[in-house]
Amino acid sequence: MTRRDDTTRILISQQAAQRLADSISRRRFLALGGGVAAAAALAACGSSSSDSKSTSPSGGTPVAAGTGSKNLNMFTWAEYDDPDLLKSWGNITLTIFDSNEQAVQKLVQGGGSSGFDMVVPTGPYIPQLAKAGLLAELDKSKIPNFSNLDARYINQPWDQGNKYSVCKNWGTTGWFYDTKVVTTEIKTWADFIKVAQTEASGKTTVLDAPPDLCGIYFWANGIDWTTEKTEDLDACEKFLVDEFASHIKAFNSYPGVDLTSGSFALSQVFVGDARAGLLGVKQAGDDPARYKWGIGAPETEFWMDNWCILKGAKNVDSAYDFINFILDPKNSVTDLNYHGYNTGIKDIETLAGDIDFKDMVFYTSDAQLATMKSGAVNSAQERLVKIYSNVKAKAGG
Amino acid sequence: MAATLETQQAPRRTRLRAPKFLLAIPSFVWYVFLFIVPVALVIVNSFGKKIPGTPGKVDLSSPNLERYREVVSGSFRSLLKQTMFTSILGTVLCLTISLPVAYLLAFKVGPKAKTAVLALLMVPFFANFLLRTLAWRIVLQPEGFVSNFLQSGHWFTLGQSLRSGPIEILDTRTAVQIAIVYNYLPLMIFPLWVALDRVELHLREASKDLGANRLRTFTQVTLPLAGPGIVAGLILVFVPLSGDYVTAALLGGAKGNMIGAEVANQYFKAQDAASGSAIAVSLIISILLVLGVLASCFWFMSKLMKRNRAVVVVAR
Repeated sequence: MTRRDDTTRILISQQAAQRLADSISRRRFLALGGGVAAAAALAACGSSSSDSKSTSPSGGTPVAAGTGSKNLNMFTWAEYDDPDLLKSWGNITLTIFDSNEQAVQKLVQGGGSSGFDMVVPTGPYIPQLAKAGLLAELDKSKIPNFSNLDARYINQPWDQGNKYSVCKNWGTTGWFYDTKVVTTEIKTWADFIKVAQTEASGKTTVLDAPPDLCGIYFWANGIDWTTEKTEDLDACEKFLVDEFASHIKAFNSYPGVDLTSGSFALSQVFVGDARAGLLGVKQAGDDPARYKWGIGAPETEFWMDNWCILKGAKNVDSAYDFINFILDPKNSVTDLNYHGYNTGIKDIETLAGDIDFKDMVFYTSDAQLATMKSGAVNSAQERLVKIYSNVKAKAGG
Repeated sequence: MAATLETQQAPRRTRLRAPKFLLAIPSFVWYVFLFIVPVALVIVNSFGKKIPGTPGKVDLSSPNLERYREVVSGSFRSLLKQTMFTSILGTVLCLTISLPVAYLLAFKVGPKAKTAVLALLMVPFFANFLLRTLAWRIVLQPEGFVSNFLQSGHWFTLGQSLRSGPIEILDTRTAVQIAIVYNYLPLMIFPLWVALDRVELHLREASKDLGANRLRTFTQVTLPLAGPGIVAGLILVFVPLSGDYVTAALLGGAKGNMIGAEVANQYFKAQDAASGSAIAVSLIISILLVLGVLASCFWFMSKLMKRNRAVVVVAR
């Protein structure tokens, strides 16, 4: 017997041969699978960071200001600007943050080299940013449309003279509930608390923000919600932890849509978010009358998010151009239709025309405005976060 | 011939050779800067105190254990306990579900079907982790399709006897538990399958030849041989699961919170790196404790098994 070629031959049972073939394929699979598992793990890591949706600011090609190309790197909230409107202006790279604290921390750590041109903080956080030397003083002569703003929405306590900021839009905090579960009518924060403790117990959500959570107690009891007094804070903590926490189902800053899908019965909301929920109900062809909403009473929050230019900005002229662009009444209306908050432009109510749930966007009577008060970042901030942490822990246990 | 070979080799020996650890330098640097240094920073920070009014600066002038006292005495302890409970239960559930799947995959399924099953296991994980988790919100909605179907009176749901009201598990610990098992299942199935696959067929055949029934073959031959794979799977699932906070943040509501979310909360909301670090270190210690208990269990079990087996052999 002669061997014709050099192929290795082995004597092996059929079963074992099958087995051998399998093990070879297993090795091949492992090489592939290892790669996939690594990719999946990376994806998981990536998605846990809050700005996974963002494109890195360095991704866009920065163009020196004044060359005529319109580029901007903006650090802002999610779903807060009409993408078509932004595109009609120029090339804007958005990076997302989900809380003011997070934005401040990122900007401070990045120093002047964060790579962003603009940031959109809520009013009370502006002094902190300005003090850290991160915000550029605005040259109003470059923003002729600044005069389009309603006088009631400029010169806010946290930025007298609009040295650093221009109103993007403002809103308020209230409640939103499902009348299938909650039959009592809610008229004040005290009612809100009572319903949360009874009918809507275990189906109530509060905003995932320390000042707003504590605000429920302060507003209901006629205490200024920017209080720094220890006894007020102690009373607030005692009440929220001992008598309120166990009724909370979730800490959710955007519960509007979930409430209308039956997950919650009563929510503390930003009114625009309740409107988003109702718009969804209407779109689905269901009856919006099932859900009721209200603006916090007797007192509640006035919050305003603002356009600010950062000191290290590379595209300063573009930033001014953009602010001027967005303050144009026509563009402002387009933007309003997207996010559903009052942009503070003179006569915006008339300009907006007939939009759905209009009373959820415009609540501008002087009497109503008088009940709203801006928050403040003061010495109580850390205590508020402690209270919030303790309420959260109590709600979980 | 041999002589020439030697003369040729001699000069080679004198050539400058790179030290053996050269190739390890990149991974060493990576390890030091991206693992050891950050962990050391976290540990150091945990002994400090937040400087009020700053975004996350830590005062280290008088290091103490105050932050740990807060973790142990405060509300964080129950959260830590719950997190460990969720993680252990999640890992056990993963193991229970994965073992039969891996067993079928290793021994009972033909090569073609095997590829198909593996593809089915892997393809869903090509989608983004966040998206897959978020999708559970739709599935578990009290007025969602699953809930509606269970109440629909369809024959499959045994009339209406299965559910009298909408399912209320969204924003609870149960929802987190379900999604966690779902998210970490492949991390358990794959090491288990590889471990079982490496068990030599002829050892199982030998066991059968020597009179062991299927169950005995499984418990005394297959399972011990796959032991290292099972341990790898348990660690691979348990460790990241304990630190997970995305799943809890998306599905847990107030009741299903996990300690990882509290770490994020301390860093981002409270801007308190000291407390955040102390909680993170406490979590690491808890994980090590659980792994220690697990290791001693396995050690004890293997000792017990060996002793039992020895007795059996002698008795025959």
